[in-house]
Amino acid sequence: MITVENLTKRFGSKLAVDHLGFEVRPGTVTGFLGPNGSGKSTSLRCMLELDRPETGTTMFDGQPYHALRRPLHEVGALLDAGYVHPGRSGRNHLRWLAASNGIAKARVDQVLELVGLSSVGSARVRSYSLGMRQRLGLASVLLGDPRIVILDEPANGLDPEGIRWIRDVLTHLASEGRTVLVSSHQLSEMALMATDLVVIGQGRLIEQSTVADFVDRHAERWVRVQSPTIDALRAPLQAIGALIEDVDDTTLNVRGVGCPQVGEIAATHQLVLHELSPQTGSLEDAFLKATAAVQEYRSGGAQ
Amino acid sequence: MTNLVRAEWIKLRTVTMNWVLGIIAVAFPLVVTLLTAALAGGNDSDGLDTEGLISVLAGTTVVCALLCGVIAAASITSEFGFGTIRPTFAATPRRSMVVAAKGLVVVAATTVLGAVVMLAGWFIGGALATSQDSTIDLAEVPTGLPTMVGAVVLVALMSLAGYGLGLITRSTPVAVSVLIVWPLIAEGLIGQLLVLIFSSDTIASWMPFQAGIRLAVVDLFDDGPSRLASGVYFGAVALALVAVGGWMVNRRDA
Repeated sequence: MITVENLTKRFGSKLAVDHLGFEVRPGTVTGFLGPNGSGKSTSLRCMLELDRPETGTTMFDGQPYHALRRPLHEVGALLDAGYVHPGRSGRNHLRWLAASNGIAKARVDQVLELVGLSSVGSARVRSYSLGMRQRLGLASVLLGDPRIVILDEPANGLDPEGIRWIRDVLTHLASEGRTVLVSSHQLSEMALMATDLVVIGQGRLIEQSTVADFVDRHAERWVRVQSPTIDALRAPLQAIGALIEDVDDTTLNVRGVGCPQVGEIAATHQLVLHELSPQTGSLEDAFLKATAAVQEYRSGGAQ
Repeated sequence: MTNLVRAEWIKLRTVTMNWVLGIIAVAFPLVVTLLTAALAGGNDSDGLDTEGLISVLAGTTVVCALLCGVIAAASITSEFGFGTIRPTFAATPRRSMVVAAKGLVVVAATTVLGAVVMLAGWFIGGALATSQDSTIDLAEVPTGLPTMVGAVVLVALMSLAGYGLGLITRSTPVAVSVLIVWPLIAEGLIGQLLVLIFSSDTIASWMPFQAGIRLAVVDLFDDGPSRLASGVYFGAVALALVAVGGWMVNRRDA
């Protein structure tokens, strides 16, 4: 369990994290979401006491980070895969980390094997791709077999196989009862991986809930109707206040009414339907809607 | 603490630059000393005597000390430069322990380098000088042994000072520039200025690095501080740099 309370961090006049508080349950993967510049990475650094917050506390299973005698056994964190000396080999990077927490040397080779880097463990990190560095970072997280795992953008630079692999690893860790907090911009991945969400914007908590509740609350819903006589449905649907969007010659997206109403209208007018299905927006849609007011940086319109 | 020392030792010896600098730090004084010992006994020369051998050896060890200072500075600045300070502090949240362990390891390692230079230079240089019909006897020069020990202490203290500068500046170029420019140029200029202002010839020898270098001077013929006082003073300055750096590392974001 991770408990964050009243975390505040300021860089000069810029308030990066603003009285942030949330909890991360064990046994689940919790997604940590927010637009660029929303304070996710700063929050993670403050939680691990790498940055000094102005106010607030973070407890890891009831203990502050500085009270952990051998932190790598309690909390495995990957904040940036680039935090490696490029002239050092991957194995030696893990060896000094292991030595600092009294972890046996044999464990280094175990985790290298686990992340698929055994064959390049002796190569210098400067020869690693970004994906290989992410794998090395994950190896460092797993080194102490921790009960709590914190990852900042772990899928950056990974190929599709790597992304799937990291998803499987994290869901497996959560299934073992560990606490897993993952920050990511890859919302489709997060939808597949996470059970809970912590969404922040401009350093403040916007929402903490399950993924399902978050999507329910923020994403749009509509009905997809497909019929060979689709035009005959338009007038009766508009008559009951439905908003209609053409998809193609035989398909409509209908908003403002539910599947039962559309089905009843079709039956009343003896119209054949090939599809009648409820549609829900994605986590991405829900996220964009929920964070629309707190976007730090916005893209210009398409040219 | 043992675990931390082991971790810092792995870090220090797994970076090629440290080996390159370490080899140069040992090779430069040895090559100069041995060449001097081998070539001094030419046709028109009486060869290298004991005082000459110690002077050359201790004098060139100043370069070894500066390079060891660079190794020490880079041992911490590279952590900030490459971001490895974050996994370091994540693995050991008690930062003062990390600062202490790293300082201990790098100063111990560079002191060994200084001792290797001194012993190898003395024995091999002495053998070469003897082969040129010179007489090498440490008992001949009362300040010989203190100078040789002082040169090794200078290497240790210069490393400590470099480490402190690294902790304060967090930047390899800045720390190395200060470490090279300050003792070799800035202290000379400031020292001369102080001499003019205070009309005292000895005041310049109280400049910190100049005081440190006095550890490795055979004949301290001026009225400046004694070898021991110079060493204690420079050591205090080096320790103060580490203390200030450690305090800053504890307070600042990693």
